Amino acid sequence: MSLETCWVALLGLLLAGYFVLGGYDYGVQMLHPFLGGQAQAGPAVERTSRNAALDAIAPFFLGNEVWLVAFAGVMFGAFPHLEGDLLPGLYPLIVAILVGLVLGNAAVQLRGRAHSARGRHWWDILIVFGGALPALCWGLVVGLLLHGVPRRTDGTFHIGPGDVLTPFVLACGVTTALLFAAHGAAFIALRSAPELARTACQLGSSLLRATGAVGSLALLLTLFGAGASMTNRATSAALAALLAAALAGAWWHLSRGHHIRAFAATCCATALPVLLVGAGHYPYVLISSSGAGMTLHQAVTDGATLTILTAFGVVLIPVILAYQTWSWWAFRGRTGRRHPSYF
Amino acid sequence: MSNPVQSTRRKKGRIMSAAELARLQFAATTGIHWLFVILTMGLVPIVAIMHTRAAYTRDPDKRATRERMTRFWGQLYVINYAVGIATGLVMEFQFGLSWSGLSKFAGNVFGAPLALETLIAFFAESTFLGMWIFGWGRLRRGVHVTLIWLVTLTAYASAYWIMIANGFMQHPVGYEVRGGEAYLTDFGALLTNPHALLALAHITLAALTTGGVFVTGISAFHFARGTKEIELFRSSLRLGLWIGAVASFFVIIVGDLQFPVLERTQPMKMAALENSGVAELQAQLVTEHGPADYAPPHGWLRVSMDTMTIIGNTVSTVTLIAVCLLWKDWLVRRRPLAYLMTAMIPLPFIASAGGWVFREVGRQPWLVYGELTVNDALSHVSRTSLVVSCTAFITVFVALAAVNWSLIARFARRGPHATQLGATEPLPHDVPGDGADEKQPVPTY
Repeated sequence: MSLETCWVALLGLLLAGYFVLGGYDYGVQMLHPFLGGQAQAGPAVERTSRNAALDAIAPFFLGNEVWLVAFAGVMFGAFPHLEGDLLPGLYPLIVAILVGLVLGNAAVQLRGRAHSARGRHWWDILIVFGGALPALCWGLVVGLLLHGVPRRTDGTFHIGPGDVLTPFVLACGVTTALLFAAHGAAFIALRSAPELARTACQLGSSLLRATGAVGSLALLLTLFGAGASMTNRATSAALAALLAAALAGAWWHLSRGHHIRAFAATCCATALPVLLVGAGHYPYVLISSSGAGMTLHQAVTDGATLTILTAFGVVLIPVILAYQTWSWWAFRGRTGRRHPSYF
Repeated sequence: MSNPVQSTRRKKGRIMSAAELARLQFAATTGIHWLFVILTMGLVPIVAIMHTRAAYTRDPDKRATRERMTRFWGQLYVINYAVGIATGLVMEFQFGLSWSGLSKFAGNVFGAPLALETLIAFFAESTFLGMWIFGWGRLRRGVHVTLIWLVTLTAYASAYWIMIANGFMQHPVGYEVRGGEAYLTDFGALLTNPHALLALAHITLAALTTGGVFVTGISAFHFARGTKEIELFRSSLRLGLWIGAVASFFVIIVGDLQFPVLERTQPMKMAALENSGVAELQAQLVTEHGPADYAPPHGWLRVSMDTMTIIGNTVSTVTLIAVCLLWKDWLVRRRPLAYLMTAMIPLPFIASAGGWVFREVGRQPWLVYGELTVNDALSHVSRTSLVVSCTAFITVFVALAAVNWSLIARFARRGPHATQLGATEPLPHDVPGDGADEKQPVPTY
């Protein structure tokens, strides 16, 4: 395997890691009004500032979105030519993702500071919005990358409403948003007290059915030639089948209360779209809607730079994976009596 | 091609061009991001020192005080970090979004430090900080203290790589241009760029000054209000003031060390600052690089430089005198003196913003000095998109900064008893001196 393939694999790993980790954050953000753990208390009891769903993500929240930053950094370092075309091309979507992220991030942390139920209500709306907007927009980005973007002769492109508002791209957006929500439900089921976990399981399996339904629409559109135009058809078909299997598996285990297996399956399901974009179009990293596109070789940085980055990467990547794993291990288990928060 | 800043000033009232909007967006987001960064960098070493002292104190009473002290200042630090982290996330995308010419021309060189920053520093910093925040009472003492030192180390490592990238924009080194694209030829030269290293030393000392003055000001405020936590705030005051006094003394010296480098590498910046010899340099640059306006605006440079130096000297002098007044607590026995310390808190932030304006406005019209102009690097993004994104980012960032400062002020005013960091629901084991050394049992599935 050549160096550039290694680096595109790393880039994919970082994005997939972000989809898996950020994905459950957004899912939990979207679902937290329904899975806050206050329902049992009855309407007479005023909702307190604690929210079990948000407590479940609290210790991991800071570390998760860092994967996105690392993705952006590695893309700039190893694939500057891809970055220079991709980010301005997807400008409106990237800005929407970032604004959603910043608002959601702030709202999750500031919610606890609100003194009134009314104030918390506003923060809750912002938390849901800050989860749903990035989830939907990432889905749209995946849809666009699968379908191909309108590249001009000099390689640049600008997406407009006409490119985004197509049935296939919209279906991808909705599928991803639903998938992240289901993933969030599986995470809450894993981390919360038993009663809440049961509610999360029920909600999660309904969401997975919806994900499957909208995902099938995207698949059908592709089969009828109005969707993705994959470079490697066999690989893509295999990955799509895996995605379907992961969704079915997640649904099966969630509806039977196997939390760990269900969460493992939703993790696979959230990572697979990234693999589909990467492996499905290899050796292209960016597909033109008119055919062909930017190859990995055109996107990659100069060989000398890549060698230096590789020297660092060989040491850094295992270290990063080690301390991330350590942090998950140190904070494993259900959220219990102690609910730490940032402030 | 005219200088964007000058043309804005010349034609006030005219609608902004795409380049000006993109510059405004970058300047505003970076500027606000920096206000978070400087406090993070200033506070984290102080918190780490406090935590280390607390962890290795045997006397239970002293230890309890020092632990409360760590949690109190740690809380203020965490608020600033947690609210500010999102601004860093946006920064990572800013280069690609609006300045695609930078990745086209210098991606082979400029991208590497940014990639390494995320992999070496930012990733680790956030993970370790998350563990430190939630590790109270859960992790072994030694591990917990190591975590905050790792956070400190990675925060400064982050600053190093960002300054390497910024240093390349100020004074590109270690590269050659082939076919209109820069290629990395000497990684060592890139890593030892004097424009990066001196600036790094300067901002490190500026950050320590900021942290020191911040801790001093809040401690003095509590003395002025007649706090009962005398031991806690006396200890904080001493630490903060010593750090502030020493750092603010050396920040001026390191700042001055940069002038010879500027004279050599960016003569136009110095000429525009002094408003002398601009015409000759302009003529010389026109013959080298073709016709354009190469002079950064004198007014901006003068005002920003004066803001920085006047505040720097003031802070240095006041903290030096204040250190002498630490004797027998004279500093906090007189209320006006104590409130003067509190009033100094914003000054280092303003001075450092001035420093950045001088450094970056003085770089105009270049994005990569002598190689790529700002206008040539602009992405082909429509004006409408830029108006929307610029408005959205600035609104959100200003709101974040306002929220951050009101939260910090609220927590700082309330004092240590209201600290939530690591003390949401005290467990018996959390009581200091009562087996806090032992690792806490982790809840199981």
